[in-house]
Amino acid sequence: MGTLARRAVWLLALAVAPSAARAHRLDEYLQATVVSIEPEAIRLSINLTPGIEVADEVLARIDWNRDGLIAESEGATYSELLRRDLTLRLDRGGMELELVAATFPTTAELAAGTGIIQLVFEAGALPLAAGPHVLAFENRHFPGVGVYLFNAALPRSPSIEIARQKRNDDQSVGEIEFMLTDASAAAGR
Amino acid sequence: MQTRARFALAVLGLGLALAGPILSQTPASPTAQIATAAEALLATLSDAQRSQALFRFDDEAQRKRWSNLPTGPFTRAGLRMGDLTEPQRAAVLALLSAALSPEGYTKVMAIVGADEALRQSTGRAMFGRDEYYVSFVGEPSTTAPWLLQFGGHHLALNITLAGDQGTLAPSHTAAQPATYELEGRTVQPLGREVELSAALLRSLDAKQREQAILGFQVRDLVLGPGRDGQAIQPEGIKGSELTARQRELLLELAGEWTGISHAALARAKRAELAANVEDTWFAWSGPTETGKSAYFRIQGPTVHIEYAPQGRDEPATHVHTIYRDPTNEYGARWWAR
Repeated sequence: MGTLARRAVWLLALAVAPSAARAHRLDEYLQATVVSIEPEAIRLSINLTPGIEVADEVLARIDWNRDGLIAESEGATYSELLRRDLTLRLDRGGMELELVAATFPTTAELAAGTGIIQLVFEAGALPLAAGPHVLAFENRHFPGVGVYLFNAALPRSPSIEIARQKRNDDQSVGEIEFMLTDASAAAGR
Repeated sequence: MQTRARFALAVLGLGLALAGPILSQTPASPTAQIATAAEALLATLSDAQRSQALFRFDDEAQRKRWSNLPTGPFTRAGLRMGDLTEPQRAAVLALLSAALSPEGYTKVMAIVGADEALRQSTGRAMFGRDEYYVSFVGEPSTTAPWLLQFGGHHLALNITLAGDQGTLAPSHTAAQPATYELEGRTVQPLGREVELSAALLRSLDAKQREQAILGFQVRDLVLGPGRDGQAIQPEGIKGSELTARQRELLLELAGEWTGISHAALARAKRAELAANVEDTWFAWSGPTETGKSAYFRIQGPTVHIEYAPQGRDEPATHVHTIYRDPTNEYGARWWAR
């Protein structure tokens, strides 16, 4: 598809978008994080859905050359922008996040306020002792318009037990208190 | 024996003799009833329509092709209601009537009616009763697994049948407008969910409320469309902390989702939920005053339900919900290797 044609598709999406978006979130940016704590890895699965009225601002940070396509490098750059807006700490020690999977919708879907960006980050391994631990998370991405969800996934490993979850009012900041009952499970990762 | 008594016995004997063959017949199983209705629909289709409606059972893309979004932003496959003839549409409705409980059928039609009201109020063709799709993943059968899908904007029914067993998980119900007028009466497709959740909340004492009410906003579904295969840690108040009456209310509330399916399948699911009710959680986020817009969640070993008002309208004008079974999405327990 040529550049002009891609622009036409995008403009068409913008033209028809209001009716679809009217039924959905308009001026907010839904950012839903599910945190999976397992002995071998801590994984953040983040779904991002910009509403139509903020989609252009989000798109401007993704589709740098405005060609109506999201190149792999543009997706990686945006993922890095998001990563810098996230903080993950385990027992007060900072954890590095690495992008392990990324799926971007089309620019037309994003422009229409219906596209979902799906990113998965994994935290570097840290040695853990058996006993209680606290994983703290903060999301500062688009703070003015962000609608945040933050939840612990149900652990698959029997050696991890989620004890308690705490969040601030808008869920941009949260903590997961968990228990590692079998340190060998974590050591073997 | 008196003549009258002998006459009565004779009539009873004749009645039993005539009724014998009928009484000895086993009533058709839910799957047989639904498969028969599905075959009746398929018989009305042209070859081209048939190939549009039928997908292979191993077609994972079609199995997961559902959304809260309207046509346009989301592309569905299958037969579009607006493209069918009147007898074909009637056959689809007969199939839904066979596959759903009477209450479930009424709820589904009310959701479609809300979208039709949205079409009329906005004038947009992407909404309305023509924009719903029916499809089959696998051939209708009384023995082999197959999936009946019916959905469109704010509705996704995924009914997997495998022999005598069936599940509705995952399915999505929603409504916008949440309340509308039809032929002089007020329709609230998800009204029972509001009433029953409010009744359960009202029944909680101060200590129970402290456990059930989350101290933060939950402004959307956590495990909505696109979150297949995920499960989150339960929160709120556990069923073991509820009274017997409160547990009944919790099951009744969950029944607004599980009870959408064929009554026999719904009964089996309710029995399963009742067996696990002590390990089933109820959580609430938002205002507690009756009539105010609030989020709630039910989570148990084999159930995940969320009700999430969209936006900040009071009362809610737009609601999304999700129903899942973390142990048996798409009935995989019965067929996945």
